Amino acid sequence: MSSAEGPVVFDPSDYGAIPTSRALRQWMRTTRRRHADRSFGQIFEDVYLVLFTLAMVGATGGNVVHHLNTNAARCTSFTCGELSHWMPWIVVPLLLATTIRVLLSVGPVSASQATGFWLLATPVNRASLLRPTYRLVMVVAAVIGFLASMVVWALLGTQFFGVVEAAALMAALLVCTAAVTVWVQQTAQRSRWALRVADLLLVAAVIPAVLLAAQPNSRPKAGMTTTTAVMYTDVVDDYGFGTALIDQPAHTLLPVLFGVLIVFCIALVVVTSRSLDKLTRTSVIAGGELLAGLAGAASSLDISMLADVVAGRHWRLKGRAHTRRGHGSRGGALVHREFVRILRWPRRLVIGFALLVVPYAVAGAGFDALVPVAAGFAGFGAVRPLMDGLRSVCRSTGLVRALGMDLRELRVIMAVVPGLFAILWAALASPAIGSAPATFAVAAGMLAGAVRQASARPPSYSGPLVSSPMGAIPPGLFSQPMRGFDLLLVCLAPVLLGISSTWVLAIPAFVLAVMFAVRPKTD
Amino acid sequence: MSNKKAAPRLAVTDLQHKYGDRPVIEGLTFTLRAGQAIALVGPNGAGKTTVLKCIVGSAEPAAGKILLDGLPIDERVEMVRRDVATLLDDLDFFPDLTAAEHLDLLARAHGNASPEDLVDTTLHEIGLLSAADQLPGSLSSGQRRRLALATALVRPRKLMVLDEPEARLDTDGVQWLSNRLIEEKKSGTAILFASHDPALVESVADSIVTLTPLP
Repeated sequence: MSSAEGPVVFDPSDYGAIPTSRALRQWMRTTRRRHADRSFGQIFEDVYLVLFTLAMVGATGGNVVHHLNTNAARCTSFTCGELSHWMPWIVVPLLLATTIRVLLSVGPVSASQATGFWLLATPVNRASLLRPTYRLVMVVAAVIGFLASMVVWALLGTQFFGVVEAAALMAALLVCTAAVTVWVQQTAQRSRWALRVADLLLVAAVIPAVLLAAQPNSRPKAGMTTTTAVMYTDVVDDYGFGTALIDQPAHTLLPVLFGVLIVFCIALVVVTSRSLDKLTRTSVIAGGELLAGLAGAASSLDISMLADVVAGRHWRLKGRAHTRRGHGSRGGALVHREFVRILRWPRRLVIGFALLVVPYAVAGAGFDALVPVAAGFAGFGAVRPLMDGLRSVCRSTGLVRALGMDLRELRVIMAVVPGLFAILWAALASPAIGSAPATFAVAAGMLAGAVRQASARPPSYSGPLVSSPMGAIPPGLFSQPMRGFDLLLVCLAPVLLGISSTWVLAIPAFVLAVMFAVRPKTD
Repeated sequence: MSNKKAAPRLAVTDLQHKYGDRPVIEGLTFTLRAGQAIALVGPNGAGKTTVLKCIVGSAEPAAGKILLDGLPIDERVEMVRRDVATLLDDLDFFPDLTAAEHLDLLARAHGNASPEDLVDTTLHEIGLLSAADQLPGSLSSGQRRRLALATALVRPRKLMVLDEPEARLDTDGVQWLSNRLIEEKKSGTAILFASHDPALVESVADSIVTLTPLP
């Protein structure tokens, strides 16, 4: 036993049975309640606000989806038939690949660094400590799987029970996937294999998208009803994978399949739950750090910062890279360095070029009017990740000082390589987009938008704040997520409105000129 | 040096670690017995922290064996978490728990029967009694460091693994640390620490392992 005056004396007999995680959590709850600075009424108000918002968004979104579902169900065109046939083969592997990648990047079982040190490093049962997080992961996977597939199948015009069944199946499938990723998290080797599987699933999703994109030459003119389309809507029945179910009546096969999947899913969740003590502290904390960073970025509605957090983690994990000597001087040296830097993460380039399938798939599905918009957004997604250099410069006045150039000048230099990529990308998408002026508008829009988003300042809480029902917020907080997309839409507007080619060229050119002429704001 | 004939508390054999293809530690072998202290010294980038991380399971060795009391060390085993007190650079705090509550939590998690007394004594010893009610955000970096060191005192320990424990401590703090580590050795705790402070190394360490950066 120790006395308050003397030094701490270590006596092993002072330490007895290790408490349960439940007892420890209860102690933390009680202790934290003593510091609580919000009354129950205030907490209730917040909860009410969140529930009310969810109800409003759910009702509005549900109504929109219901409306689109009704329209899609009435559609018997060749295009609708094509979409009903191909979309499930794209959506299912895409959802699985995304789930594996996202879950493995955050853990999926994660904890803060503080929890890692003060709780997970103690002899308290680790599986028990991590079980609440594990359950949360399973619930989130189920909800996302259910909602995402419900929306997709509803948009394909599937009937109500078909939508619910497909959503429930997908939710069960994602829960199984989540449970498997928890098992995968236990060793680095398993994680590497799982990422390869995710890549294969991504390829599996791209193949039907490419086949859909290759349709234009063979399809009848848009709007034409064909017997094939009628066959598809009948055969696809409620699930999209109709062709696989032709020989078997769907309503006898599906409950059996669903029952088996549910039993397997429950067994998998229980077995994995019992193996949580095999997770290392390091693997659990790494995801927690990423989630904390993402939560910080999300609270400021800053998409660029979200990308920063992900990129920062990638480079931290990579740790080392082969040093390559620079070439040239001043601006030329920076352009060369940007080129080398971009090549250092080739996956981004691969994904960027893979996104070319989007405009072709949209064109292949027959939605010609939407091709420039789809190309613009896909191109934005392809080129934006290449702008980390510009992002670093715009976020660090010290770096700008060290480079000895004006920030306006640096913005132009840093945009050279991504700009060349944007031109190449748009040129490759040109056959789907159609005309040369529209292709120019797409290239200009994706570049201007990506540069504007990458050079955005974070919202500043140190300046004047605006009063809102959510408390004081910096001006421009809510416009933050739109930053970049606004310029993209301005550039695409003349194409969408179908005005003359002169304006289709002039407006994006003007937007680019003004954007590069203006000096970005800094803190 | 004490307990020379006892089985080593920690035995590291032919430890190797790589960052990518580049080896940072190669063929490191040493043993640490109860009541003994070993200091890891060397310039920045020599791999001191990496060695400590391998031992506590925060980094995966490329090859080699690390045994605690004759068994492979694995932080997923409860007894290892009970016996090894670690202080690396991965310490963070719960923003809404006070300094005293942090120590209280740790003492309870290790099954201490009377954590209040232990926490008071520890805070007094490390000179943080007046900061007991402060939340981590209001502690200075030196106070945070003292609190971090205090975590080793409110829990059982057979082995202490410390990375530059003298960092951010004032002169009195380093002196206290030196005396404390000597006391810990006397009570049978084995200590492995990395340090850049020659005086601390000289006063505490029974053996010195010098690491040099690999080409």
